Amino acid sequence: MAADDQGAAEGAGQRPDTRRPRSVYGVGTEPDARFSLANERTALAWVRTGLGLVAGGVALTSFATFAGMPGVLDVVAGVACLVGACFAGYALVSWRRNERALRLREPLPAPSGLPVLVTGVVVLAVLLAGYAVGSATWP
Amino acid sequence: MTTDPGPAAGPPPRDEGLQPERTALSWQRTVLGVVLGSLVLAGAGLRAGSTVTVCAAAAVGVLALVPAVLRAPSGGLPGDGRLHSFAFLVRVVALVVALALVGAVWAFGRGAGAA
Repeated sequence: MAADDQGAAEGAGQRPDTRRPRSVYGVGTEPDARFSLANERTALAWVRTGLGLVAGGVALTSFATFAGMPGVLDVVAGVACLVGACFAGYALVSWRRNERALRLREPLPAPSGLPVLVTGVVVLAVLLAGYAVGSATWP
Repeated sequence: MTTDPGPAAGPPPRDEGLQPERTALSWQRTVLGVVLGSLVLAGAGLRAGSTVTVCAAAAVGVLALVPAVLRAPSGGLPGDGRLHSFAFLVRVVALVVALALVGAVWAFGRGAGAA
């Protein structure tokens, strides 16, 4: 019984929690692991979103070799790469906010990156569409 | 010996709600994406004859692939019942940012050269 208690105490996190970042693990209580894992998957999905933008930008750069207006395409590709990096960074920010809210049993914060992402993708699509129409109209 | 079925009392034999496969697959997709992205960048650098870009892209790909193969993320709860997601997230985000910076520097350099 005593051994069981000790094991349960160990498993329940009686040892000091030294995990970083302290701004997350220093507050609140341990949430259900399922919620933490879902938060981890959400952050990974944001990383993949940023990665998609980076890969698209790189692919656009190599495509610009064959294009008529390489300067414009290269700038669009560079911007796509930088925005992708920002979304990868946002993955960490949103993970931290969500994990804090989970530990404090607070409502989850709104996904503030989502409108930015939608706006960015629309702007990118309009830019590329404008480029396509422009290069077709004035070859 | 009975084990305490509490949420933080060590990993139970099989928690149907935990679904560690989903998290593990999510990690695999992400690492695969980093490796594919670095391959695309390396291929573009090869075609353009930019040795620096190829080396940087290859370094990102290796740094992403090697830890993921040596210690594949299981997606489940570790033995001590505590997740250590943040360190791995920081590492993969750093790799993506490095890839993005190499790609952006290259693209803007080409754009400045073409203009």
